[in-house]
Amino acid sequence: MPIDLYRIDDRLIHGQVIVGWGQPMDLGFIVLVDDEVAGSEWERELYRMGVPPEMALFFTSVDEAVARLGEWRADPRHGMLLTGDVETMRRLTERAPAIREVNVGGIHHRPGRTERLRYVFLSPEEEQALKAMEARGVTVTVRDVPSARALRLGELSGAAKTA
Amino acid sequence: MITPDREPTAVAPRLSWGARVAVFTRMFAVQGSWNYELMLGPGIGFCAEPALRELPGGPDGDAYRQALARETRYFNAHPYFAAVAIGALVRAELEGRPAAQIERFRTAMCGPLGSLGDRLVWAGWLPFCSLVALLAFGLHASPVLVVILFLVLYNAGHIALRAWGVSTGWRSGLRVAASLGAPMLQRGPQYLARAVLFLAGLALPLAIARVVGRRGLEITSHDWRIALPGAALLAIALAVLLVRLPARVEGWRAALAVLAVLILTSIAR
Repeated sequence: MPIDLYRIDDRLIHGQVIVGWGQPMDLGFIVLVDDEVAGSEWERELYRMGVPPEMALFFTSVDEAVARLGEWRADPRHGMLLTGDVETMRRLTERAPAIREVNVGGIHHRPGRTERLRYVFLSPEEEQALKAMEARGVTVTVRDVPSARALRLGELSGAAKTA
Repeated sequence: MITPDREPTAVAPRLSWGARVAVFTRMFAVQGSWNYELMLGPGIGFCAEPALRELPGGPDGDAYRQALARETRYFNAHPYFAAVAIGALVRAELEGRPAAQIERFRTAMCGPLGSLGDRLVWAGWLPFCSLVALLAFGLHASPVLVVILFLVLYNAGHIALRAWGVSTGWRSGLRVAASLGAPMLQRGPQYLARAVLFLAGLALPLAIARVVGRRGLEITSHDWRIALPGAALLAIALAVLLVRLPARVEGWRAALAVLAVLILTSIAR
């Protein structure tokens, strides 16, 4: 099993990812896909601080991720691919049909977003993008930590309330 | 060497001593407006505010309003290590860095500051201080002395950490990653974990000996018939409860909680 989880989390690397998922998954590497982080050395340095030394961390742009996905999927270690926003994951899934399942792990409050869950706030555009992914056959589930129940996108809309 | 997108100014911007003192004292209330939507965000804005007043245009200017709105947005990190973020963000704001860059910097700091704080404080310093206090109890210190010892020791570390954090953040600005990689911070949790295990071995038997008393529990054969199955049932019930509880309850926390209850009952007796 190469990349076990494709996750959208605007906090990128933090405790939930490293400990919450990393330990049960026996995570060996993380691919952080973000065009801006990939091009900014001080951001890369900061994110690297949050990862234990035995875990590999790759910073890539969307283009590079599409090109190298096959290589990571063949990696014997367990891996996680992480994007900071819905848009990056949408671009990635459109160009990499091998991605069949996407996990929404945390999208937090920002003006224009509506609360859907304590840890999921979505703008109308972001919701559309997630629905479009599902329409293309990608399974979208919402779950912050492995011990929580995975929710489907449809279960969120019903609970929608204004922030 | 880390080179930010734009070289930070070599000399820190001017900041009055009044503002520095106000930022530091406000940090004790950084969790005061904690909520699920913005987490520590409003606290960061509140702490940075006295410094932001020194932006061009003062507290009535646009720069102040925009910076304050930016600094109050979602932020999540360890409350003590948030000091590093406050120092670095105040500097970035006073240097007049682009809004987008500051926002990305804020996001990037959450992860490392959170994980460092979890490992160094919640899993290191807090159990260390608890066990030092427990050891004092085991060595027959008076209950009041035990409490004072814990509070003084724990808060000495806590306040020193905040002071170090805000000054490190202020000195480093966007290049703060290099300071967070300091060997003491990276290896600290490891050393503290060893000290915690050593102290636990020393303190637990002494504390239990004090609770139980010199002559031990004088249990007659009749009592054993009730005590053994009772203890077994209690252990099973506790184990079930522990498994059922959220993953936050770790073994050592549960053990310390049980011990605290034991000690409190022995004091009350």
